[in-house]
Amino acid sequence: MTALKIDNLSFTYPSGTRALSNVSLEVGQFTTLALLGSNGAGKSTLLDLLFGWKPSSNIFLFGKPLKEYGRKELGRNIALVPQSEHYNFSFTLLEYTLFGRAPYLKEMASPSDGDVRIAYEALEMVGMASFAKRSVTTLSGGESQLVLIARAIAQGSKVLLLDEPTSALDPANRRKVIEILNLLHDQGKTIIFTTHDAQFAYELATHVAMLKGGKLLSFGTKERVVTSSLLTTLYDTEMTVCTVGEKTLIY
Amino acid sequence: MMETERTYRSEAKRNRRILLLLLTTLLLLSVLFLFAGRYPKGGLTFPSDLATNHLMQNIMLNVRLPRILLALIAGAILSAAGFTFQMLFSNPLVEPGFLGVSQGSAFGAALVIVAGTNNSAMVQVSATFFGLLALGASYFLAKRFRFGGWLLRLVLSGIAVSAIFSSALGVVKLVAEPTKDLQDITFWMMGGLWNSNWKQILTIMPVVLVCLAILFSYRWRMNLLSLQEKSAYSVGLNPKVDRTVLLVVATVGTTLTISLTGLIGWVGLIMPHLARKLFGSDSKAALPGSMVMGSLFLLLCDTVGRTLLPTEIPIGLLTSFIGAIIFIVILSLKHQGGKA
Repeated sequence: MTALKIDNLSFTYPSGTRALSNVSLEVGQFTTLALLGSNGAGKSTLLDLLFGWKPSSNIFLFGKPLKEYGRKELGRNIALVPQSEHYNFSFTLLEYTLFGRAPYLKEMASPSDGDVRIAYEALEMVGMASFAKRSVTTLSGGESQLVLIARAIAQGSKVLLLDEPTSALDPANRRKVIEILNLLHDQGKTIIFTTHDAQFAYELATHVAMLKGGKLLSFGTKERVVTSSLLTTLYDTEMTVCTVGEKTLIY
Repeated sequence: MMETERTYRSEAKRNRRILLLLLTTLLLLSVLFLFAGRYPKGGLTFPSDLATNHLMQNIMLNVRLPRILLALIAGAILSAAGFTFQMLFSNPLVEPGFLGVSQGSAFGAALVIVAGTNNSAMVQVSATFFGLLALGASYFLAKRFRFGGWLLRLVLSGIAVSAIFSSALGVVKLVAEPTKDLQDITFWMMGGLWNSNWKQILTIMPVVLVCLAILFSYRWRMNLLSLQEKSAYSVGLNPKVDRTVLLVVATVGTTLTISLTGLIGWVGLIMPHLARKLFGSDSKAALPGSMVMGSLFLLLCDTVGRTLLPTEIPIGLLTSFIGAIIFIVILSLKHQGGKA
Protein backbone atom coordinates (compact mmCIF):
# COMPACT_ATOMS: atom_id res chain seq x y z
CA MET A 1 0.00 0.00 0.00
CA THR A 2 1.18 3.53 -0.76
CA ALA A 3 1.89 5.62 2.31
CA LEU A 4 2.77 8.85 0.54
CA LYS A 5 2.12 9.90 -3.02
CA ILE A 6 3.67 13.01 -4.47
CA ASP A 7 2.04 13.96 -7.75
CA ASN A 8 3.77 16.48 -9.99
CA LEU A 9 4.78 18.68 -7.08
CA SER A 10 6.33 22.09 -7.65
CA PHE A 11 7.11 24.77 -5.09
CA THR A 12 8.25 28.37 -5.46
CA TYR A 13 9.17 30.57 -2.49
CA PRO A 14 7.52 34.00 -2.19
CA SER A 15 10.91 35.48 -3.11
CA GLY A 16 10.54 33.80 -6.49
CA THR A 17 13.12 31.06 -5.92
CA ARG A 18 11.86 27.82 -7.41
CA ALA A 19 12.73 25.05 -4.94
CA LEU A 20 10.97 22.05 -6.53
CA SER A 21 9.87 21.31 -10.10
CA ASN A 22 7.45 18.58 -11.11
CA VAL A 23 8.48 16.00 -8.54
CA SER A 24 6.45 12.77 -8.59
CA LEU A 25 7.08 9.69 -6.50
CA GLU A 26 5.24 7.06 -4.48
CA VAL A 27 6.49 5.82 -1.14
CA GLY A 28 5.16 2.44 -0.09
CA GLN A 29 4.44 1.51 3.49
CA PHE A 30 7.41 -0.01 5.39
CA THR A 31 9.79 1.85 3.08
CA THR A 32 12.81 3.77 4.33
CA LEU A 33 13.38 6.51 1.79
CA ALA A 34 16.45 8.72 1.60
CA LEU A 35 16.02 12.12 -0.04
CA LEU A 36 19.56 12.52 -1.30
CA GLY A 37 21.10 15.64 -2.75
CA SER A 38 23.51 18.53 -2.28
CA ASN A 39 22.78 21.59 -0.20
CA GLY A 40 19.98 23.60 -1.80
CA ALA A 41 18.68 20.65 -3.84
CA GLY A 42 15.18 21.03 -2.37
CA LYS A 43 15.31 18.18 0.18
CA SER A 44 14.28 20.21 3.22
CA THR A 45 11.59 22.04 1.23
CA LEU A 46 10.16 18.68 0.19
CA LEU A 47 10.22 17.52 3.81
CA ASP A 48 8.40 20.69 4.90
CA LEU A 49 5.75 20.02 2.27
CA LEU A 50 5.35 16.40 3.38
CA PHE A 51 4.10 17.27 6.87
CA GLY A 52 1.99 20.19 5.72
CA TRP A 53 4.22 22.97 7.05
CA LYS A 54 4.18 24.37 3.55
CA PRO A 55 0.81 23.88 1.86
CA SER A 56 0.40 21.74 -1.24
CA SER A 57 -2.45 20.07 -3.11
CA ASN A 58 -0.21 17.49 -4.74
CA ILE A 59 0.58 15.28 -1.75
CA PHE A 60 -1.54 12.33 -0.63
CA LEU A 61 -1.08 10.52 2.68
CA PHE A 62 -2.65 7.05 2.72
CA GLY A 63 -4.71 8.04 -0.30
CA LYS A 64 -6.14 11.21 1.21
CA PRO A 65 -4.96 14.70 0.21
CA LEU A 66 -2.69 16.06 2.92
CA LYS A 67 -4.59 19.34 3.09
CA GLU A 68 -7.77 17.49 4.07
CA TYR A 69 -6.18 16.24 7.29
CA GLY A 70 -7.03 18.06 10.51
CA ARG A 71 -4.05 19.37 12.50
CA LYS A 72 -4.17 16.64 15.16
CA GLU A 73 -5.10 13.91 12.70
CA LEU A 74 -2.00 14.78 10.69
CA GLY A 75 0.09 14.77 13.87
CA ARG A 76 -1.11 11.24 14.58
CA ASN A 77 -0.10 10.08 11.10
CA ILE A 78 3.16 11.84 10.43
CA ALA A 79 5.92 12.92 12.85
CA LEU A 80 8.90 15.17 12.30
CA VAL A 81 12.39 14.91 13.76
CA PRO A 82 13.89 18.36 13.12
CA GLN A 83 17.60 18.79 12.58
CA SER A 84 17.90 20.49 15.95
CA GLU A 85 15.81 22.15 18.65
CA HIS A 86 16.59 25.11 20.89
CA TYR A 87 16.04 24.28 24.53
CA ASN A 88 15.31 27.46 26.44
CA PHE A 89 13.56 25.83 29.39
CA SER A 90 14.82 22.99 31.57
CA PHE A 91 12.22 20.35 30.75
CA THR A 92 13.17 16.84 31.84
CA LEU A 93 13.65 14.32 29.04
CA LEU A 94 10.40 12.65 30.03
CA GLU A 95 8.46 15.93 30.01
CA TYR A 96 9.97 16.75 26.63
CA THR A 97 9.21 13.35 25.13
CA LEU A 98 5.64 13.68 26.37
CA PHE A 99 5.19 16.58 23.94
CA GLY A 100 4.88 13.91 21.24
CA ARG A 101 1.55 12.87 22.81
CA ALA A 102 -0.07 16.23 22.00
CA PRO A 103 -2.02 15.01 18.93
CA TYR A 104 -3.89 12.56 21.17
CA LEU A 105 -4.90 15.08 23.81
CA LYS A 106 -7.87 17.41 23.85
CA GLU A 107 -7.10 21.15 23.64
CA MET A 108 -6.96 21.76 27.35
CA ALA A 109 -5.97 18.31 28.61
CA SER A 110 -2.69 17.17 30.13
CA PRO A 111 -0.97 13.82 29.50
CA SER A 112 -2.36 10.76 31.28
CA ASP A 113 -0.44 7.94 32.99
CA GLY A 114 -0.77 6.00 29.73
CA ASP A 115 0.95 8.85 27.88
CA VAL A 116 3.74 8.86 30.45
CA ARG A 117 4.23 5.12 29.88
CA ILE A 118 4.39 5.59 26.09
CA ALA A 119 6.88 8.46 26.43
CA TYR A 120 9.03 6.40 28.76
CA GLU A 121 9.00 3.46 26.34
CA ALA A 122 10.09 5.81 23.58
CA LEU A 123 13.01 6.96 25.73
CA GLU A 124 13.83 3.31 26.43
CA MET A 125 13.90 2.61 22.73
CA VAL A 126 16.53 5.28 22.11
CA GLY A 127 18.51 4.23 25.18
CA MET A 128 17.84 7.40 27.16
CA ALA A 129 15.37 6.07 29.73
CA SER A 130 17.88 6.11 32.57
CA PHE A 131 18.23 9.88 32.05
CA ALA A 132 14.47 10.51 32.03
CA LYS A 133 14.77 13.04 34.87
CA ARG A 134 17.69 14.92 33.35
CA SER A 135 17.19 18.38 31.86
CA VAL A 136 17.15 18.75 28.09
CA THR A 137 19.43 21.78 28.45
CA THR A 138 22.28 19.48 29.48
CA LEU A 139 22.12 17.25 26.37
CA SER A 140 24.97 16.88 23.93
CA GLY A 141 24.26 17.10 20.19
CA GLY A 142 24.03 13.31 19.84
CA GLU A 143 21.81 12.87 22.90
CA SER A 144 19.58 15.69 21.71
CA GLN A 145 19.04 13.91 18.38
CA LEU A 146 18.07 10.74 20.26
CA VAL A 147 15.55 12.63 22.39
CA LEU A 148 14.06 14.29 19.30
CA ILE A 149 13.63 10.80 17.82
CA ALA A 150 12.05 9.65 21.10
CA ARG A 151 9.54 12.51 20.90
CA ALA A 152 8.62 11.41 17.36
CA ILE A 153 8.32 7.75 18.47
CA ALA A 154 6.00 8.82 21.30
CA GLN A 155 3.88 10.48 18.62
CA GLY A 156 3.02 6.96 17.45
CA SER A 157 2.63 7.92 13.79
CA LYS A 158 3.03 5.50 10.90
CA VAL A 159 5.24 7.89 8.95
CA LEU A 160 8.42 9.43 10.34
CA LEU A 161 10.25 12.35 8.71
CA LEU A 162 13.82 13.18 9.69
CA ASP A 163 15.74 16.24 8.58
CA GLU A 164 19.48 15.45 8.27
CA PRO A 165 19.35 13.10 11.28
CA THR A 166 23.09 12.43 11.51
CA SER A 167 24.66 15.56 10.03
CA ALA A 168 26.12 16.71 13.36
CA LEU A 169 26.79 13.35 14.99
CA ASP A 170 29.98 11.49 15.81
CA PRO A 171 30.35 7.91 14.46
CA ALA A 172 29.07 6.23 17.67
CA ASN A 173 25.89 8.32 17.80
CA ARG A 174 25.48 7.96 14.04
CA ARG A 175 25.58 4.17 14.46
CA LYS A 176 23.05 4.41 17.29
CA VAL A 177 20.64 6.46 15.15
CA ILE A 178 20.94 3.95 12.30
CA GLU A 179 20.15 1.06 14.69
CA ILE A 180 17.11 2.86 16.11
CA LEU A 181 15.77 3.74 12.65
CA ASN A 182 16.31 0.16 11.47
CA LEU A 183 14.35 -1.03 14.48
CA LEU A 184 11.54 1.39 13.65
CA HIS A 185 11.59 0.15 10.06
CA ASP A 186 11.24 -3.42 11.34
CA GLN A 187 8.26 -2.30 13.40
CA GLY A 188 6.52 -1.23 10.22
CA LYS A 189 7.17 2.51 10.14
CA THR A 190 7.57 4.37 6.89
CA ILE A 191 10.68 6.51 7.26
CA ILE A 192 11.71 9.42 5.06
CA PHE A 193 14.94 11.28 5.79
CA THR A 194 17.01 13.93 4.07
CA THR A 195 20.75 13.63 3.78
CA HIS A 196 23.63 14.69 1.59
CA ASP A 197 25.66 11.68 2.76
CA ALA A 198 25.34 8.93 0.13
CA GLN A 199 27.04 6.35 2.37
CA PHE A 200 24.56 6.99 5.18
CA ALA A 201 21.66 6.90 2.71
CA TYR A 202 22.83 3.53 1.42
CA GLU A 203 23.30 2.07 4.91
CA LEU A 204 19.85 3.02 6.13
CA ALA A 205 17.45 3.34 3.22
CA THR A 206 15.56 0.76 1.19
CA HIS A 207 14.82 3.38 -1.46
CA VAL A 208 16.58 6.55 -2.58
CA ALA A 209 15.22 9.67 -4.30
CA MET A 210 17.93 11.86 -5.77
CA LEU A 211 17.15 15.56 -5.97
CA LYS A 212 19.17 18.02 -7.98
CA GLY A 213 18.25 21.67 -8.45
CA GLY A 214 14.70 20.94 -7.26
CA LYS A 215 14.17 18.17 -9.81
CA LEU A 216 13.93 14.44 -9.23
CA LEU A 217 17.04 12.98 -10.83
CA SER A 218 16.28 9.37 -10.00
CA PHE A 219 14.08 7.31 -7.70
CA GLY A 220 14.01 3.60 -6.91
CA THR A 221 15.53 0.91 -4.72
CA LYS A 222 18.94 1.86 -3.43
CA GLU A 223 20.63 -0.92 -5.35
CA ARG A 224 19.23 0.47 -8.59
CA VAL A 225 19.72 4.17 -7.92
CA VAL A 226 22.97 4.45 -5.98
CA THR A 227 25.42 4.02 -8.82
CA SER A 228 28.71 5.74 -9.58
CA SER A 229 27.34 7.50 -12.64
CA LEU A 230 24.15 8.82 -10.99
CA LEU A 231 26.04 9.97 -7.89
CA THR A 232 28.61 11.72 -10.12
CA THR A 233 25.79 13.52 -11.91
CA LEU A 234 24.07 14.32 -8.59
CA TYR A 235 27.08 15.90 -6.91
CA ASP A 236 28.94 17.21 -9.99
CA THR A 237 32.05 15.47 -8.73
CA GLU A 238 33.58 12.09 -9.35
CA MET A 239 31.89 9.50 -7.09
CA THR A 240 32.53 5.76 -6.91
CA VAL A 241 30.41 2.95 -5.54
CA CYS A 242 32.28 -0.28 -4.87
CA THR A 243 31.61 -3.47 -3.01
CA VAL A 244 34.12 -4.92 -0.59
CA GLY A 245 32.94 -8.26 0.78
CA GLU A 246 29.40 -7.55 2.02
CA LYS A 247 30.03 -3.84 2.39
CA THR A 248 29.18 -1.18 -0.15
CA LEU A 249 31.51 1.78 0.02
CA ILE A 250 30.81 5.14 -1.55
CA TYR A 251 33.52 7.76 -1.88
CA MET B 1 9.24 1.69 33.87
CA MET B 2 6.83 1.63 36.78
CA GLU B 3 9.46 3.48 38.77
CA THR B 4 9.44 6.43 36.36
CA GLU B 5 5.66 6.58 36.27
CA ARG B 6 5.69 6.59 40.05
CA THR B 7 8.35 9.34 40.09
CA TYR B 8 6.36 11.41 37.59
CA ARG B 9 3.21 10.97 39.66
CA SER B 10 4.97 11.69 42.95
CA GLU B 11 6.47 14.87 41.51
CA ALA B 12 3.02 15.93 40.36
CA LYS B 13 1.74 15.17 43.85
CA ARG B 14 4.61 17.17 45.39
CA ASN B 15 3.79 20.12 43.14
CA ARG B 16 0.13 19.93 44.10
CA ARG B 17 1.09 19.93 47.79
CA ILE B 18 3.31 23.00 47.37
CA LEU B 19 0.55 24.76 45.44
CA LEU B 20 -1.97 23.93 48.14
CA LEU B 21 0.41 25.20 50.80
CA LEU B 22 0.92 28.46 48.91
CA LEU B 23 -2.83 28.85 48.39
CA THR B 24 -3.51 28.28 52.08
CA THR B 25 -0.81 30.81 53.00
CA LEU B 26 -2.33 33.25 50.53
CA LEU B 27 -5.79 32.81 52.00
CA LEU B 28 -4.61 33.15 55.60
CA LEU B 29 -2.52 36.23 54.85
CA SER B 30 -5.38 37.80 52.89
CA VAL B 31 -7.63 37.45 55.94
CA LEU B 32 -4.88 38.59 58.32
CA PHE B 33 -4.04 41.65 56.22
CA LEU B 34 -7.69 42.72 56.32
CA PHE B 35 -6.92 43.64 59.90
CA ALA B 36 -3.65 45.39 59.05
CA GLY B 37 -3.45 49.09 58.31
CA ARG B 38 -2.94 52.51 59.77
CA TYR B 39 -6.45 53.01 61.14
CA PRO B 40 -7.28 53.49 63.94
CA LYS B 41 -3.56 53.20 64.65
CA GLY B 42 -0.65 51.51 62.84
CA GLY B 43 -0.60 47.72 63.10
CA LEU B 44 -3.30 45.08 63.45
CA THR B 45 -6.86 45.74 64.52
CA PHE B 46 -8.29 43.33 67.07
CA PRO B 47 -11.50 41.61 65.97
CA SER B 48 -13.04 42.66 69.30
CA ASP B 49 -12.67 46.33 68.30
CA LEU B 50 -14.46 45.63 65.06
CA ALA B 51 -17.88 44.92 66.53
CA THR B 52 -18.30 48.42 67.94
CA ASN B 53 -16.45 50.45 65.34
CA HIS B 54 -18.63 50.97 62.28
CA LEU B 55 -16.06 53.08 60.48
CA MET B 56 -13.58 50.23 60.93
CA GLN B 57 -16.10 47.79 59.46
CA ASN B 58 -16.60 50.11 56.54
CA ILE B 59 -12.86 50.44 55.96
CA MET B 60 -12.39 46.69 56.05
CA LEU B 61 -15.23 45.88 53.71
CA ASN B 62 -15.02 48.77 51.27
CA VAL B 63 -11.37 49.80 51.33
CA ARG B 64 -9.15 46.92 52.39
CA LEU B 65 -11.14 43.97 51.01
CA PRO B 66 -11.40 45.29 47.42
CA ARG B 67 -7.79 46.36 47.62
CA ILE B 68 -6.63 42.92 48.75
CA LEU B 69 -8.78 41.31 46.07
CA LEU B 70 -7.21 43.58 43.46
CA ALA B 71 -3.72 42.65 44.71
CA LEU B 72 -4.57 38.95 44.33
CA ILE B 73 -6.06 39.30 40.85
CA ALA B 74 -3.38 41.71 39.61
CA GLY B 75 -0.57 39.51 40.95
CA ALA B 76 -2.05 36.42 39.31
CA ILE B 77 -2.67 37.96 35.89
CA LEU B 78 0.61 39.93 35.68
CA SER B 79 2.53 36.83 36.64
CA ALA B 80 0.53 34.54 34.33
CA ALA B 81 0.90 36.99 31.44
CA GLY B 82 4.65 37.21 32.00
CA PHE B 83 4.83 33.43 32.09
CA THR B 84 2.80 33.17 28.90
CA PHE B 85 5.00 35.68 27.06
CA GLN B 86 8.11 33.80 28.18
CA MET B 87 6.77 30.49 26.89
CA LEU B 88 5.44 31.89 23.61
CA PHE B 89 8.65 33.72 22.79
CA SER B 90 10.70 30.86 24.18
CA ASN B 91 12.64 33.39 26.18
CA PRO B 92 12.70 33.47 29.97
CA LEU B 93 13.59 37.18 29.93
CA VAL B 94 10.46 38.45 28.20
CA GLU B 95 7.36 39.95 29.79
CA PRO B 96 4.60 42.20 28.37
CA GLY B 97 6.60 45.33 29.30
CA PHE B 98 9.43 44.25 27.00
CA LEU B 99 7.19 44.43 23.97
CA GLY B 100 5.84 47.91 24.60
CA VAL B 101 2.54 46.76 26.14
CA SER B 102 3.03 48.66 29.42
CA GLN B 103 4.12 51.91 27.77
CA GLY B 104 1.33 51.61 25.21
CA SER B 105 -1.23 51.14 27.98
CA ALA B 106 0.19 54.03 29.97
CA PHE B 107 -0.09 56.28 26.93
CA GLY B 108 -3.67 55.08 26.31
CA ALA B 109 -4.70 55.80 29.89
CA ALA B 110 -2.94 59.19 29.97
CA LEU B 111 -4.62 60.22 26.75
CA VAL B 112 -8.08 59.62 28.20
CA ILE B 113 -7.17 61.33 31.47
CA VAL B 114 -5.93 64.44 29.66
CA ALA B 115 -8.97 64.44 27.38
CA GLY B 116 -10.92 65.13 30.54
CA THR B 117 -12.90 61.92 30.52
CA ASN B 118 -13.37 60.85 34.09
CA ASN B 119 -14.81 57.54 33.07
CA SER B 120 -12.74 54.59 34.31
CA ALA B 121 -14.25 52.31 31.64
CA MET B 122 -12.86 54.64 28.97
CA VAL B 123 -9.43 54.54 30.64
CA GLN B 124 -9.58 50.73 30.58
CA VAL B 125 -10.67 50.53 26.96
CA SER B 126 -8.03 53.01 25.85
CA ALA B 127 -5.26 51.34 27.90
CA THR B 128 -6.20 47.94 26.48
CA PHE B 129 -6.41 49.24 22.93
CA PHE B 130 -3.01 50.95 23.02
CA GLY B 131 -1.46 47.99 24.85
CA LEU B 132 -2.61 45.68 22.05
CA LEU B 133 -1.54 48.22 19.46
CA ALA B 134 1.95 48.32 20.98
CA LEU B 135 2.13 44.52 20.97
CA GLY B 136 1.00 44.40 17.34
CA ALA B 137 3.50 47.11 16.39
CA SER B 138 6.37 45.27 18.11
CA TYR B 139 5.41 42.06 16.35
CA PHE B 140 5.05 43.76 12.97
CA LEU B 141 8.34 45.63 13.28
CA ALA B 142 10.17 42.47 14.34
CA LYS B 143 8.93 40.82 11.15
CA ARG B 144 10.19 43.77 9.10
CA PHE B 145 13.60 44.12 10.75
CA ARG B 146 16.49 42.72 8.78
CA PHE B 147 18.94 42.28 11.62
CA GLY B 148 19.63 39.39 13.97
CA GLY B 149 17.45 36.44 14.96
CA TRP B 150 13.74 36.52 15.73
CA LEU B 151 14.06 37.05 19.47
CA LEU B 152 16.63 39.79 19.16
CA ARG B 153 14.46 41.53 16.56
CA LEU B 154 11.47 41.21 18.86
CA VAL B 155 13.29 42.71 21.83
CA LEU B 156 14.71 45.51 19.65
CA SER B 157 11.32 46.33 18.18
CA GLY B 158 9.87 46.24 21.72
CA ILE B 159 12.48 48.78 22.83
CA ALA B 160 11.66 51.01 19.84
CA VAL B 161 7.90 50.81 20.36
CA SER B 162 8.28 51.42 24.12
CA ALA B 163 10.42 54.48 23.38
CA ILE B 164 7.87 55.87 20.91
CA PHE B 165 5.02 55.47 23.41
CA SER B 166 7.22 56.87 26.20
CA SER B 167 7.91 60.02 24.25
CA ALA B 168 4.24 60.30 23.28
CA LEU B 169 3.41 59.91 26.96
CA GLY B 170 5.90 62.71 27.69
CA VAL B 171 4.03 65.00 25.31
CA VAL B 172 0.73 64.13 26.97
CA LYS B 173 2.26 64.90 30.37
CA LEU B 174 3.51 68.25 29.09
CA VAL B 175 0.02 69.35 28.14
CA ALA B 176 -1.64 67.75 31.18
CA GLU B 177 -3.27 69.98 33.74
CA PRO B 178 -0.63 69.97 36.54
CA THR B 179 -2.82 69.87 39.64
CA LYS B 180 -5.08 67.02 38.61
CA ASP B 181 -4.33 65.17 35.35
CA LEU B 182 -0.57 65.15 35.79
CA GLN B 183 -0.97 63.64 39.25
CA ASP B 184 -3.24 60.94 37.88
CA ILE B 185 -0.71 60.12 35.19
CA THR B 186 2.13 60.08 37.71
CA PHE B 187 0.09 57.62 39.77
CA TRP B 188 -0.01 55.45 36.71
CA MET B 189 3.71 55.42 36.31
CA MET B 190 4.40 54.43 39.89
CA GLY B 191 1.65 51.89 40.28
CA GLY B 192 -0.60 51.63 43.29
CA LEU B 193 -3.72 49.95 44.57
CA TRP B 194 -4.94 52.87 46.69
CA ASN B 195 -7.52 53.83 44.12
CA SER B 196 -9.31 50.48 44.20
CA ASN B 197 -12.98 50.23 45.01
CA TRP B 198 -15.67 47.63 44.43
CA LYS B 199 -17.12 49.32 41.40
CA GLN B 200 -13.82 49.44 39.53
CA ILE B 201 -12.82 45.93 40.52
CA LEU B 202 -16.13 44.48 39.42
CA THR B 203 -15.71 46.19 36.03
CA ILE B 204 -12.46 44.42 35.24
CA MET B 205 -12.79 41.24 37.30
CA PRO B 206 -15.01 39.15 34.99
CA VAL B 207 -12.75 39.71 31.97
CA VAL B 208 -9.52 39.24 33.94
CA LEU B 209 -10.88 36.04 35.51
CA VAL B 210 -11.78 34.73 32.05
CA CYS B 211 -8.24 35.58 30.87
CA LEU B 212 -6.79 33.73 33.86
CA ALA B 213 -9.06 30.74 33.20
CA ILE B 214 -8.00 30.57 29.54
CA LEU B 215 -4.29 30.79 30.36
CA PHE B 216 -4.73 28.21 33.13
CA SER B 217 -6.52 25.76 30.87
CA TYR B 218 -3.77 26.07 28.25
CA ARG B 219 -1.08 25.40 30.84
CA TRP B 220 0.26 22.13 29.41
CA ARG B 221 0.00 23.15 25.78
CA MET B 222 2.03 26.26 26.53
CA ASN B 223 5.04 23.96 26.80
CA LEU B 224 4.58 23.04 23.15
CA LEU B 225 4.48 26.67 22.10
CA SER B 226 7.98 27.15 23.51
CA LEU B 227 9.25 24.75 20.84
CA GLN B 228 10.33 26.08 17.48
CA GLU B 229 7.27 26.72 15.35
CA LYS B 230 7.89 23.81 13.01
CA SER B 231 8.07 21.33 15.90
CA ALA B 232 4.92 22.70 17.51
CA TYR B 233 3.16 22.34 14.15
CA SER B 234 4.39 18.77 13.69
CA VAL B 235 2.82 17.63 17.00
CA GLY B 236 -0.58 18.80 15.83
CA LEU B 237 -0.75 22.41 16.98
CA ASN B 238 -1.60 25.44 14.96
CA PRO B 239 1.11 27.57 16.57
CA LYS B 240 0.27 30.83 14.81
CA VAL B 241 -3.36 30.69 15.97
CA ASP B 242 -2.55 29.43 19.48
CA ARG B 243 0.18 32.05 19.96
CA THR B 244 -2.06 34.88 18.76
CA VAL B 245 -4.95 33.82 21.00
CA LEU B 246 -2.76 33.49 24.08
CA LEU B 247 -0.87 36.74 23.39
CA VAL B 248 -4.12 38.67 23.04
CA VAL B 249 -5.57 37.05 26.18
CA ALA B 250 -2.41 37.80 28.21
CA THR B 251 -2.24 41.37 26.90
CA VAL B 252 -5.92 42.13 27.51
CA GLY B 253 -5.64 40.76 31.07
CA THR B 254 -2.50 42.80 31.70
CA THR B 255 -3.70 46.07 30.24
CA LEU B 256 -7.11 45.90 31.95
CA THR B 257 -5.40 45.29 35.26
CA ILE B 258 -2.82 48.03 34.93
CA SER B 259 -5.53 50.42 33.81
CA LEU B 260 -6.58 50.25 37.49
CA THR B 261 -3.29 49.65 39.21
CA GLY B 262 -0.85 51.64 37.09
CA LEU B 263 2.47 50.18 36.02
CA ILE B 264 3.59 47.38 38.32
CA GLY B 265 6.90 46.14 36.99
CA TRP B 266 8.94 42.99 37.48
CA VAL B 267 6.12 40.74 38.72
CA GLY B 268 5.69 39.20 35.28
CA LEU B 269 9.40 38.65 34.93
CA ILE B 270 10.41 37.39 38.36
CA MET B 271 7.47 35.28 39.54
CA PRO B 272 7.60 32.85 36.57
CA HIS B 273 11.34 32.40 37.26
CA LEU B 274 10.74 31.62 40.91
CA ALA B 275 7.84 29.33 40.02
CA ARG B 276 10.05 27.34 37.66
CA LYS B 277 12.65 27.00 40.41
CA LEU B 278 9.99 25.63 42.75
CA PHE B 279 7.77 23.61 40.40
CA GLY B 280 10.09 22.70 37.51
CA SER B 281 9.88 23.95 33.93
CA ASP B 282 6.71 22.06 32.93
CA SER B 283 4.15 24.83 32.68
CA LYS B 284 1.42 22.43 33.77
CA ALA B 285 2.59 23.03 37.34
CA ALA B 286 4.71 26.16 36.94
CA LEU B 287 1.95 28.37 35.48
CA PRO B 288 -0.55 27.89 38.33
CA GLY B 289 2.39 28.16 40.73
CA SER B 290 3.39 31.41 39.10
CA MET B 291 -0.15 32.80 39.44
CA VAL B 292 -0.33 32.03 43.17
CA MET B 293 3.18 33.36 43.78
CA GLY B 294 2.34 36.54 41.88
CA SER B 295 -0.74 37.06 44.08
CA LEU B 296 1.29 36.41 47.20
CA PHE B 297 4.03 38.80 46.10
CA LEU B 298 1.65 41.67 45.32
CA LEU B 299 -0.33 41.07 48.51
CA LEU B 300 2.86 41.28 50.58
CA CYS B 301 4.21 44.31 48.70
CA ASP B 302 0.91 46.17 48.94
CA THR B 303 0.52 45.43 52.63
CA VAL B 304 4.06 46.61 53.34
CA GLY B 305 3.46 49.66 51.14
CA ARG B 306 0.30 50.71 52.97
CA THR B 307 1.31 49.85 56.53
CA LEU B 308 5.04 50.45 56.93
CA LEU B 309 5.13 54.24 56.82
CA PRO B 310 2.54 56.92 57.56
CA THR B 311 2.77 57.79 53.86
CA GLU B 312 1.97 55.04 51.41
CA ILE B 313 4.81 53.59 49.34
CA PRO B 314 3.66 53.04 45.72
CA ILE B 315 3.56 49.30 45.01
CA GLY B 316 5.36 49.67 41.68
CA LEU B 317 8.41 51.05 43.49
CA LEU B 318 8.43 48.11 45.88
CA THR B 319 7.95 45.44 43.21
CA SER B 320 10.71 46.97 41.10
CA PHE B 321 13.12 47.19 44.02
CA ILE B 322 12.44 43.68 45.37
CA GLY B 323 12.11 42.22 41.87
CA ALA B 324 15.47 43.60 40.79
CA ILE B 325 17.17 42.16 43.89
CA ILE B 326 15.59 38.72 43.29
CA PHE B 327 16.64 38.97 39.64
CA ILE B 328 20.25 39.64 40.62
CA VAL B 329 20.21 36.73 43.06
CA ILE B 330 18.66 34.33 40.49
CA LEU B 331 21.18 35.26 37.82
CA SER B 332 24.07 34.93 40.26
CA LEU B 333 22.94 31.47 41.36
CA LYS B 334 21.92 30.25 37.94
CA HIS B 335 22.82 26.71 36.94
CA GLN B 336 21.86 24.41 34.06
CA GLY B 337 23.78 26.23 31.39
CA GLY B 338 22.03 29.53 31.96
CA LYS B 339 18.61 28.13 31.06
CA ALA B 340 15.45 28.79 33.01
